[in-house]
Amino acid sequence: MSKEDVLKSNINSDLLRPVFKTGIGWYITVAISGSLLLAAMGAFGYQLYSGIGVWGLNRPVMWAFDITNFVFWIGISHAGTLISAILRVTGAEWRRPVTRCAEAITVFALMIGAMFPIVHLGRPYLFYWLAPYPNSRGLWPNYRSPLLWDFFAINTYLLGSLIYLYLPLIPDLALVRDKAKGLRHKIYSIASLGWRGTQVQWSRLEKAVGVMAVIIIPVAVSVHTIVSWDFAMTIRPMWHSTIFGPYFVAGAIFSGIAALIMAMAVIRKVFHLEAYLKPIHFNNLGLLLLTMSLLWFYFTFAEYLTSYYGNERVEKAVFQSKISGAYAPLFWAMVVCCFVIPMPILAIKKLRTISGTVAASALIVVGMWLERFLIIVPTLSQPALPFNWGSYRPTWVEITLTAGTFGYFVLLYAVFTKLFPIVAVWEFKEGLTLADHAGSVAEPQRLVAHGD
Amino acid sequence: MIEILESSPLNVNVFRRRALIVGLIALAVCGIGALINPGQFFRSYLLAYVFWIGISLGCLAILMVQHMSGGVWGLVSRRVLEAAAATFPLLAILFLPVAFGIRSIFVWAQPAASLASNEELAHAVQQKQLYLNVPFFLARAAFYFAVWIAVASTLNRWSRRQDRTGDRMLTSKLQGLSGPGLLLYGLTVTFSSIDWVMSLDPRWFSTIYGMLFMGGQGLSAMAFVIAVLAILSGDKPMSEVVRPAQFHDLGKLMLAFLMLWAYFAFSQYLIIWAGNLPEEIPWYTRRIQSSWKWVGLGLIVLHFMLPFVLLLSRELKRNRRSLTLLAGIVILMRFVDLMWMTGPEFHGGSFGVHWMDIVMPVGIGGIWLAFFATRLAERPLLPIRDPYIEDALTQAAD
Repeated sequence: MSKEDVLKSNINSDLLRPVFKTGIGWYITVAISGSLLLAAMGAFGYQLYSGIGVWGLNRPVMWAFDITNFVFWIGISHAGTLISAILRVTGAEWRRPVTRCAEAITVFALMIGAMFPIVHLGRPYLFYWLAPYPNSRGLWPNYRSPLLWDFFAINTYLLGSLIYLYLPLIPDLALVRDKAKGLRHKIYSIASLGWRGTQVQWSRLEKAVGVMAVIIIPVAVSVHTIVSWDFAMTIRPMWHSTIFGPYFVAGAIFSGIAALIMAMAVIRKVFHLEAYLKPIHFNNLGLLLLTMSLLWFYFTFAEYLTSYYGNERVEKAVFQSKISGAYAPLFWAMVVCCFVIPMPILAIKKLRTISGTVAASALIVVGMWLERFLIIVPTLSQPALPFNWGSYRPTWVEITLTAGTFGYFVLLYAVFTKLFPIVAVWEFKEGLTLADHAGSVAEPQRLVAHGD
Repeated sequence: MIEILESSPLNVNVFRRRALIVGLIALAVCGIGALINPGQFFRSYLLAYVFWIGISLGCLAILMVQHMSGGVWGLVSRRVLEAAAATFPLLAILFLPVAFGIRSIFVWAQPAASLASNEELAHAVQQKQLYLNVPFFLARAAFYFAVWIAVASTLNRWSRRQDRTGDRMLTSKLQGLSGPGLLLYGLTVTFSSIDWVMSLDPRWFSTIYGMLFMGGQGLSAMAFVIAVLAILSGDKPMSEVVRPAQFHDLGKLMLAFLMLWAYFAFSQYLIIWAGNLPEEIPWYTRRIQSSWKWVGLGLIVLHFMLPFVLLLSRELKRNRRSLTLLAGIVILMRFVDLMWMTGPEFHGGSFGVHWMDIVMPVGIGGIWLAFFATRLAERPLLPIRDPYIEDALTQAAD
């Protein structure tokens, strides 16, 4: 048997192994990430009990770590849709082992991001007042506020990306169903919605995934645009900037790809999927990351340069504090993390290896978190009237909450890999078949049908 | 197929002569206008010039995008893009009237004494003097043209060499230049749009302005490519290659640029409208509280809604004639959009369109198109030695 034949005969066992066999490493991961989450929940409980005063917030800085986390995680969530949907729409073949890792990131990061405005409410249990439903108290949301648009945009996006994650999952759920026994078999039978792998089912699935891929792109763009308008629709210095929509979207995709590369590297190592997630995938994602790094640089440059050209007095104060004032160390750390170091790593072919792209991605994730922080806090601490200037220091509550989000994300991801094949089995097989039949016009056959 | 392409060069003599005659007559008429109203001549000239260089710049950007992305649509439109990108030497010469008329066009270039009546404006001009002054403005323009000519001519030179030698390495060289080239394009277009259009009102600024121009240029260029390919594919051999599937792809790309442009334009409007700040909002009040508002409404309907709805149709995108008609509307509306951006600054905020605003683009366009057609006819209409051309031709024939 050739190398490729060995691979083909092992696809099912390789990709389903994480679902059926649980290693000790998985338990350790869950324990560590779970305890981070528990710590964050404890901090949140303390905050609920004592009030939001336990955060470092005070006039004039009313938003800090929490909104940074909100924007950051919503940004990370752009990995799934933008990568998976765009690669699907453009028919890029190499996407196949990558899509599901990305789509799962979207759903989990979005859930975490969307939590923060609620955590930030003085009375979190009243968040549903945002929904416009008929009620006797005469409550009616303010449609002119982008914070309300967020509510609709994020919910639409969450629903859309859940469907977009679920649809391509169906054939793989059927695969697990056919291998599983007992209660597990029953649960997966329900989840796979009666999938039998008939021609009609395949053609409908393909159509549905195609339609969702097209729909989800404008939805994703709208979400981060609206997040940016939370800031830009105000008249605060350096928030009130017309470029904010595309600037936030570009930053979101940028950090999302970085998160995806890191997640893939971990999955590859832990589940021994070296034959599926190959250096070429990291190379291609690295090139996308390079593109986004240049784009990010352009946006940052255009934003700062045009503010400088505009020469407004209040803008200049914020501008100076970032370039050379109190926030300068963070600002230049951001530029180094997002551009100065990753750009050459990603641009030079020899360095664009798995470890190279992972190193660049780690820096970018840190840099992008700093970027969100630097958009929010310097503006708030220096409002238009100088008598009101202030500063901000985070407390342990905010730091714990932030650390907890990372724990929560890892936990959700680990559980996901336990329940579902993290590399789409049928999509991978479809790719192999298409490659075999390259050149012929015949309808591509499926390697995976009912139980393979 | 390839032999036919190689042996039958495009005959553009008739077109070139007609374009040149029309262009020169229009410019001569505007020359008479210049004697009557020299200030208006230069202002109309800037509008027409920004419109035509937008098509060249958009084509340069899309040329680099298709080098990086690949795809059949890129192969069939590459020669059109290359020919349009080869017009920068001509455009550099055509820039001279802008340089000569700088004092008639830009408020900030006028002597400080003439601004004394408007204290606020004089203050803004004085504050921005470090950037907005005539020598630096001209030096920047020279730099932009140096970059555009260097990038476009290198891309054209390598592509021509590949036509001769079929060297596969050139494909990756073209790709390698396109990445940094696009970054340079982004930076130069941002600065040039600030210089040439945004600075018409030295008080106003908007951070998305460069992106808005890039989106507009991409849209103009896509519409232009569709129009040219539609004409070329009326005859053999291009009718064999440019099939409904290619128009479908090009139509999708035009739709993408249309949405991008609308997204940028709406972002700018919403944020400035919501902020309602005294230093920003006058730019829009000039445009929505005068008769210019009808032009603005026309832009919403004809520049966005109509093309957007129509381009959703698969049938329309695959139909050469209807897609070309739509591309024509888009090109026209691109001009109207630029008129909407510049006009209110020239007419003190009130509505006004001078006859030279209409005749001038015909004049510059005639010369530009004659130059473009000459460049296009110099080489086969497809990149015949590109490593992917065989695949593309079989795919197109399916």
